[in-house]
Amino acid sequence: MLWVDKYRPKTLDKVLIHEEIAQNLKKLVTEQDCPHLLFYGPSGSGKKTLIMALLRQIFGASADKVKVENKNWKVDAGTRTIDVELTTMSSTHHVELSPSDAGFQDRYVVQEIIKEMAKNRPIDTKGKKGFKVLVLNEVDKLSREAQHSLRRTMEKYSSSCRLILCCNSSSKVTEAIRSRCLNMRINAPTEGEIAKVLEFIGKKEGLQLPSGFSDRIAQQSNRSLRRAILSFETCRVQQYPFTINQAIPPMDWEEYVSEIASSIFKEQSPKRLFEVRGKLYELLINCIPPEIILKRLLSELLKKLDMELKHEISHWAAYYEHRLRLGQKAIFHLEAFVAKFMSIYKGFLIETFG
Amino acid sequence: MGKAKRNCAIVISSSDDEKDKDNNLLLKSGFSSSKSAPTRKNPKRAKRVSLPSSNSRQPFQYSSSSGFDEVKRICEEFDQGLTQFKVTPGSRSNKDLWVEKYTPSCLEELAVHKKKVEEVKIWFEERLKNPVDNSYSNVILISGQAGVGKSATIHAIARHLGVEVHEWNTPTPTIWQEHLHNSNSGISYMSKLDEFESFVEKIRKYGLISSSLTKVSPLSIILLIDDIPLVKGKVSYGRLQRCFHLLLQSVRLPTAILINEYGRSESAEHHSRYWEELQSSLQKAGACKVSFNPITANSIKKVLSKIRRVERIEVSDEQINLLANTSGGDIRHAITSLQYFSLKPRSMDSLSVRSAYREEKGAESSHLDDGVSLAFGKDATLSLFHALGKFLHNKRETGSLATSDEGAILLKEKFIRCPLKMDAPELVLSQAHGQATLIVDFLHENVLDFVREESIDDAWVIGTYLSDSDLLLASSASLSRNYEAENVLQSTAASIAVRGVLFGNNYPLSSRWHAIRRPVLWQVEQSLWRNKCQMQSERRDARMNTSLNNHTVIATEFKPALNWLGHKLPDYTANDADDDDKDDDEIEEW
Repeated sequence: MLWVDKYRPKTLDKVLIHEEIAQNLKKLVTEQDCPHLLFYGPSGSGKKTLIMALLRQIFGASADKVKVENKNWKVDAGTRTIDVELTTMSSTHHVELSPSDAGFQDRYVVQEIIKEMAKNRPIDTKGKKGFKVLVLNEVDKLSREAQHSLRRTMEKYSSSCRLILCCNSSSKVTEAIRSRCLNMRINAPTEGEIAKVLEFIGKKEGLQLPSGFSDRIAQQSNRSLRRAILSFETCRVQQYPFTINQAIPPMDWEEYVSEIASSIFKEQSPKRLFEVRGKLYELLINCIPPEIILKRLLSELLKKLDMELKHEISHWAAYYEHRLRLGQKAIFHLEAFVAKFMSIYKGFLIETFG
Repeated sequence: MGKAKRNCAIVISSSDDEKDKDNNLLLKSGFSSSKSAPTRKNPKRAKRVSLPSSNSRQPFQYSSSSGFDEVKRICEEFDQGLTQFKVTPGSRSNKDLWVEKYTPSCLEELAVHKKKVEEVKIWFEERLKNPVDNSYSNVILISGQAGVGKSATIHAIARHLGVEVHEWNTPTPTIWQEHLHNSNSGISYMSKLDEFESFVEKIRKYGLISSSLTKVSPLSIILLIDDIPLVKGKVSYGRLQRCFHLLLQSVRLPTAILINEYGRSESAEHHSRYWEELQSSLQKAGACKVSFNPITANSIKKVLSKIRRVERIEVSDEQINLLANTSGGDIRHAITSLQYFSLKPRSMDSLSVRSAYREEKGAESSHLDDGVSLAFGKDATLSLFHALGKFLHNKRETGSLATSDEGAILLKEKFIRCPLKMDAPELVLSQAHGQATLIVDFLHENVLDFVREESIDDAWVIGTYLSDSDLLLASSASLSRNYEAENVLQSTAASIAVRGVLFGNNYPLSSRWHAIRRPVLWQVEQSLWRNKCQMQSERRDARMNTSLNNHTVIATEFKPALNWLGHKLPDYTANDADDDDKDDDEIEEW
């Protein structure tokens, strides 16, 4: 088992970061009044961990027994029936799924599942806690229609089920949903907190950590705890005992992006642009989302860029990122950004160096 | 128009009217049957017209012009016009269609290239000389677009060699009502493919002995399969192919199979691909293949001027030229156009005017209706690749930089482009039948090859326009219900992409040969989809008792880490290499 999973705190009492939030959640649940919840924050900040711990707090150990299955839903949409297949994780008390995987059919999924859950509502022997919890991931990727239908079903079935929504950015969740939920903002852990967690893991594993080593990993982690733990484990596999200036292996796709950036700096020509296109294709094939590629590429480019140009380049990156989200084919927009950068950079070079 | 001709026409029609209603009249009544009143009046009118001076009839008719008469007069005049122009002095023979009338009867008359004819002829001669020799197959494939004289060649050669042509008689198609009737009366339906199969079976087993041609010795028969049954779907296609292979293996008679090649752009679907496959598979099996090219304008011209000579019609060389050029290598079409043309003297004038207009405009012919609104001629279609080539090569007039005197809008230097050496891009697009997404993908894939090395700015301009058109296409996809709006968006997107490419590429490379690549994007999208599915299934199998992770996290954080843990170097070129060997413990956790 990966360390990421191995050292995931199981209960709200054991969490190492966001301790205050955890305590608040515990209080909230023990008073038996659980509202709908919306967790939002950057990836790797511990949203999922908190949710899982929360479920355990509510339902006890039985919430840990989950099974993963592929469910098929036949949704009756007026004139035709739609088949939707989704992966779900469920225990007797909760169901977790990412409805945005269903693409544009997400709205049917949301409605149908909530209805189904409402139908077979669990009845406790004591007649209390008669609700199920539905955990929806990536709510920000839901379409407008789906969010709309989510809102309505939320009200309709609020007696029989609770929703826990989870997303990266609350700005893409409609106001209506946000106001119906208790919003929990989960910040990215600070580097100090990450280092603390790493040292905790190191102690548990019985490893000798040179001073400053955990800090270095934390620095490289982009304040993502998941990433920090993963790279900590890779370091362990690569070389142990640790040395003080041991290289921390970068993510391969990030390395690839910086390679692209340096090749852009070397030459600005249509031919080079074509080569860059090929490399971008390779990244895309490996399921790296285009937005992340663009973001990473921008930061790589900005590293070596003259102060004068930074503003303009960032502007164009934002411009093409917007188009990328509106459009269908990411490569068109990524490439246009690269071309724009080349064009600006070349003009700059000619101006300064003649 | 010649007076002599008109007089002559009148004489014929008036004399024929009373007597036997044969030849010419048949045709006349055929044309005017829809207007019963004037036809009934025919004899009377014909006599009236037979007055020596044709002009005198007009005042005569005006005198009795009430409202009804007015209409009648118009009808009559129209009808007269038809009779007059129809009955030309040359049409003594029974054949009204020039296409049939001037079907080449000997090899010399064929407009097909001599070498091709010779090739086919030699093939037939060889087969007919020693028919028992089974060392090579007895099938020849002749392919070519419509109207290049495939069947004519076979028939002419047969006549030349003095052999009989036996054709596969295409069964008449069954209409639905007929089918209902048949099935009620117990006759089972037989598809065209079934019939073709049984025909082939019969040929294989018995040759043609069972047919009516028993008196001719089997040596001198050519089998001609002109009309291959239309198939749809893989199963029936397979049947057809099997059928042909059987035929190929066992037929004893020299057999010609004619395959109509459609322009690739016209039916880019499976249909044409089937034919291509069929052709190549037959070729592999030993059939000899001859492909006929479209007939050159010159040979069409020759044929047309011959017809002109025989028919004694007044068509100038220039007009024949035009006819030949617009026919697109389809001689049948050219002849029919000529016949149609000789009917209407008035449009001949307009033709000459138009052609003069064309000459004049010549250089700057970017009018949308140019070459399209001609009343005859094929609407030229372009293959997708041809159109793409036009856009990518971006040929422009050289020299005079937009010195137009109107010059209402003065553009900055950097926005000025030389006029295009082609029709309006939208026109080319419509001729190429291209779908917007297809065109945009192809342009995106190939355009960078055509941009000069130093002009990265141009590449950016092109990139922006392509990204614009992608936005339009994306929004058109989301508007799934409004087809009309979708249409507009699509064509706008295509137009933006094409014009963006044309405009952006300010200094195109001097034209040299470039292969146009298939968009890699399609492949990328496919493998992306595959990888996603794989990730999905991996996630399902995951024994991590954690929560579901989304794709982003898996792709950006878990996968690279697992790569390291598995002591594997990041390998981007072989994208599934890292999933294949799961010998490591960590990876098995997945």
